[in-house]
Amino acid sequence: MTFQTVAVLIAALLSAAANAQSDVDPGTVRADQSLIASPPPMFTFGGFGTFGEVHSSRHDGDYTSTSLKPNGAGYSHNWSSDVDSLIAGQITANFSSQWSAVVQVVSEQDYENSYRPSLEWANVKYKFDADFDVRIGRTPLDTVMSNETRKLGYANPWVRPPLEVYDLVPVIRNDGLDLSYRHLVGPGTNTLHLAVGRSDSDLPLLPGTVGVIHGRKQLILTELYEQGFASARVNYSRANVTINGLEPLFDTFNAFGPAGAAIAANYSFDNHVVNIYAVGASYDPENWFVMAEWGHIQAGSFTGNNTGWYVSGGYRIHGFTPYLTYAAATTSTTTQPAGLNVAALPPSLAPAATALNAELDFQLASIRAQHTISAGTRWDFARNVALKFQLDHTRVDAGAHAVNQDLQPGFPTGGTLNLISVSIDFVF
Amino acid sequence: MTLTIRTAFIPILLSVTLVHGAAAGEVVAVVSAKSHIGPLSKSQVADIFLGRVNRFPDGGIAIPIDQREGSDARNLFYEDYAGKSPAQIKAFWSKIVFTGRGQPPKSVANEGELKKLIAANPAAIGYIDAAQVDATVRVVP
Repeated sequence: MTFQTVAVLIAALLSAAANAQSDVDPGTVRADQSLIASPPPMFTFGGFGTFGEVHSSRHDGDYTSTSLKPNGAGYSHNWSSDVDSLIAGQITANFSSQWSAVVQVVSEQDYENSYRPSLEWANVKYKFDADFDVRIGRTPLDTVMSNETRKLGYANPWVRPPLEVYDLVPVIRNDGLDLSYRHLVGPGTNTLHLAVGRSDSDLPLLPGTVGVIHGRKQLILTELYEQGFASARVNYSRANVTINGLEPLFDTFNAFGPAGAAIAANYSFDNHVVNIYAVGASYDPENWFVMAEWGHIQAGSFTGNNTGWYVSGGYRIHGFTPYLTYAAATTSTTTQPAGLNVAALPPSLAPAATALNAELDFQLASIRAQHTISAGTRWDFARNVALKFQLDHTRVDAGAHAVNQDLQPGFPTGGTLNLISVSIDFVF
Repeated sequence: MTLTIRTAFIPILLSVTLVHGAAAGEVVAVVSAKSHIGPLSKSQVADIFLGRVNRFPDGGIAIPIDQREGSDARNLFYEDYAGKSPAQIKAFWSKIVFTGRGQPPKSVANEGELKKLIAANPAAIGYIDAAQVDATVRVVP
C-alpha cells in the first residue's frame, strides 16, 4: 500500500469514529453531573500526522530520518514524502479513576518500504495515586529528551529532531513495565521514571535481508525536574543487544581463518551490553525558547561509540517561530580498521578479501560523525495545524557517510549534504 | 517589497489584538465560594491547569476545569497565567496525551456551566471573565 492509500483509509476510519460520537464531545462534562461522581468518558479518540517533502543535494544515496527506513530523498526520489510523513491514531480508555489503557497505531514508511500500520504503544495504566503510576505493555522508550514525541511533529519546533542525537538510539519502544513517580521539590516538580523490558525493531541492513535489533534486559532510568519555564533531565539506559542481519558478512570473514574469525568476533553484535547516557535542558518563556541536549551511546561493534549534541533556539512572532539549530556527532570508533591483511593472502583470495574489507568499512562509515546547521520556521497558520520549512547544511567527517541508505557504488565518505524540507503537522 | 508589507502589517495586527483583548475583558481564576484555599500566584494556578501539580498548597485535591477550546476566555487565561499561545498549549497537551501520560482538564461549553460546576465543588478551579464573578464563586487572590 502507498502512504496516500493508508492515509485515506485511516482518515475514513477516523471520521467514522468521530461521527459515531459527534453528539457527545468526549472532553466535555455536563453541568448537571456532579464533577467527582461523574466518571470520565470511557473512550477518547485522537491522532496526529505529518505530510512532508524532502529534497537532498546528494543523488548517490538516500537521506532518511531514522536508520529503520530503507530509502528516502536523494537517489530514490528527488523529493521524498517518505522521510517525515506519517499518520497516527490513538484510543484511550478510562475504566475507572485508577485504571486506563492506551492503544496507538502509526502508519509510516517501515523497513520494507510499506506503510503497514504498526502498534506504537499499547499499555494498561494503574494509578496508585495522582502522582504514582505503573504501566504494563508497550510504552515509549524514554532515552533522549523527545524520543517519545519524535514522531509528533506538531509538538516539536523543527521538521524533525536533530539526528545527531535522535538517531543514536533508533529503538523507540519498550515492552515491559514502566513506573512514574512525581513529587514536589522546592518550587518545582520532580519526576522519576523507571522502565524495564525488551524490544524488537526491524531495520534494513544488507540489501535483500531484514535486520533486527533485539533489546533484552532493557533498563531506562530518567530523572526530570520542571520549574516554571525551565526543565532539565538526566537519563541512563542499558540493554543487552543482539543485532541480526550482518551474518553473511561475518560468515565470510570466518572463512578466512583465525584472522578473519577475530574480525568477525570483534564486529558481530551478539548480546552486547549497550549503555546510553543523556542530559538535556530547555527554557521556554513566553516569546522564545532555547534547548540543548547531549547523548552518548556505548555500543561497540559496527554501530560504535557515538556522541551527539545540539543547541536550538527560536523566537515566536505572530504565529511564526523561526529557529536555528547547531548539532554535532562524533565517534571514538575506528571507522576504517585494518581488516584482513590482503598482502599475506594467496593472490586468488585477495580480491574477495579486499571486497570484504571494503564492506566492513562501508558498514562502519554509517556511524554518524558530522556537524549540521539548520535554519527554519514554524508557522501556526490554523488551529491544530503547523506548516514548517527547514534548510539543513551538514559537513561530514572523513570516514563517515553523509547518508545511510541506498548508497551507490563509489559513495565517498566525508563531504557535505544539504536538505530542503517542507512539512505540515497536525493533531486531531 | 515583502519586508515593507510585513512591517506595515504589524501595527494592524497589534491593534486587532488589543481591541480583541479589550472586548473579552480580563479573565480571573475562580474557586467555589465554599472553598477555603489561600492565595495562589498566577504560576501556581498555571501549574494546576498544566497538570504539573494536582493539589492546592493546603494539600487538598485540585480539579481544574477548562473553557471550550478556541474560546476567548481560554486563550486569554493561558496567555496571561502561563504565557502560552493556544498552539503552545495544544502542543504541550499533545505530548502528554500521545505518550499516554495523561489527559488535559475537562472542559465545559460556556461560563454559565463552569460557574455552576465550580460553585458546587470546593475542589474545582476555573477561570471566567472578571465581569461574570458573582456570590457563588470566589476570585483566587
